[in-house]
Amino acid sequence: MTKPSPKEIKAMTDVAGLPVSADVAARIAGSIGPAFEGFAAVAGTLPFDLEPASFLVVQAAKVSK
Amino acid sequence: MSTEPALLSLTEVARAIAQKRFSSREVTLACLNRVAQWQPRLNAFMAIETDEALAAADAADAALAKGNSNGALHGVPLAHKDMYYEAGKIVTCGSHIRRDFVATTTSTALQRLKDAGTIRLGSLQMAEFAYGPTGHNTHYGPVHNPWAVDRVTGGSSSGSGAAVAARLTFAALGSDTGGSIRMPAHFCGVTGLKTTVGRISRAGAMPQSLDTVGPLARTALDCALLLGLMAGADADDPTAVAGPLPDYMAATRESIKGLKIGVPTAFYVDDLDPEVERILDDTITVLKREGAEIVQVELPDQRQLTAACQLVLAVEAAAFHKRWMIERPQDYGPQVLMRLQNGLAIPGVSYLEAMRWRGPALAAYLAAVAGVDAVIAPVAPVAAPTIAESDVGNSPDAEAVIQRLTRFTRPINYLGLPALAIPSGFTKSGLPVGMQLIGRSFDEAMLLRIGAAFQRATDFHARVPKPA
Repeated sequence: MTKPSPKEIKAMTDVAGLPVSADVAARIAGSIGPAFEGFAAVAGTLPFDLEPASFLVVQAAKVSK
Repeated sequence: MSTEPALLSLTEVARAIAQKRFSSREVTLACLNRVAQWQPRLNAFMAIETDEALAAADAADAALAKGNSNGALHGVPLAHKDMYYEAGKIVTCGSHIRRDFVATTTSTALQRLKDAGTIRLGSLQMAEFAYGPTGHNTHYGPVHNPWAVDRVTGGSSSGSGAAVAARLTFAALGSDTGGSIRMPAHFCGVTGLKTTVGRISRAGAMPQSLDTVGPLARTALDCALLLGLMAGADADDPTAVAGPLPDYMAATRESIKGLKIGVPTAFYVDDLDPEVERILDDTITVLKREGAEIVQVELPDQRQLTAACQLVLAVEAAAFHKRWMIERPQDYGPQVLMRLQNGLAIPGVSYLEAMRWRGPALAAYLAAVAGVDAVIAPVAPVAAPTIAESDVGNSPDAEAVIQRLTRFTRPINYLGLPALAIPSGFTKSGLPVGMQLIGRSFDEAMLLRIGAAFQRATDFHARVPKPA
């Protein structure tokens, strides 16, 4: 998973309808970069049959020590 | 037990009113007197409703005189984070944008406390839209820590932490999306319960995926009382889970002899301030003395959880605020607007991957802690920093500062687990330090049991800051 560059962020915020300056795009890249790096080992590895609601299934499972 | 009603715990004052040892008016006046004394120093209240509170107290006393009690908290005055909708009241959410917003409904959590007999003292300060962990607020000024007024309270439930610590209210609702109950509990020396996602309805409380409603109070017992009153299914929030509730109050009376408490081998014990490290060791010693067995636990990579949490929080915040970001960007504080913009640059695929991974990540965590009843860890690596040094505004490194401060709380939000922050000691300079007990999904009872046992063996929760 690659963290977005300031140039890519500029384009993404344009598409989102909230364009930012080059300086702000650079600042955003620095702010969210660590999240992309931290999640890199997970991104692109999840199995096909996994939906977000699987969280509720795990949460509801009776687990005891 | 104190003869000054404002210094009683929630459970003590509720009993005192029920037994007519104090009237609701006496208790409410005692709180209002402390508010008048402390508010200029703390800035903890958003609104103080003296006349309405006293009128409600008189009504509560009149009802009780006729033998009518509204419930377990009859006549107890409380104030809450100013994001809980109450019909007819201004609810600012700590923002300029909602400075004049009048709620037309009442949040379920608040309504359940009202149904139990509470009366309203006013509303409490908070970070703008609950989006900040320090207690700074551009529009209404920072909330000050009662233990050292040049220090932050933590956020986003900043007023809740300060007001409970200074004994201005017996308890206060907070909310915790990335640490917003546990951080102020830690920095202000009070007990704070972050509940499991789904344990308490979020209706009327600015809900997003990782949000949880919970109390800040003086003791684990007080938190147990409040949780029992608020928890359970709600037609207005389908994510609130149905089913029988444990007897949380009974859990607090149980011994912890034979329980196993895990200490992480990494992450939560890395790069701690030496005083926080000492207090963690001291806390473990007390828990051992009370009969718990302490074992080491190797947790899955918590940095991945923190990263996933940031992806989810940032995107949801940007999506919720997008309309105002377009129409009223000038009405946000600089740091909040800056952080909202972060979410615009995270692709939808990354957000959805982070949401899809929650199930496997929770399963892996639960497997890792299968041999223990709870995990203990610091809430934060440091005690309260100064207001000046943590006022990073919208500087380029602001997000990094915020992420460092909340690195021990965010993984728990991502997993939706419950955690109880308990006052665990003081630094040499007199600042409180809290530890968090982290439990399994919906096992708040275990955390309250351990927290109450710790509080029977220590007095950190009973210490009261004095006005300078």
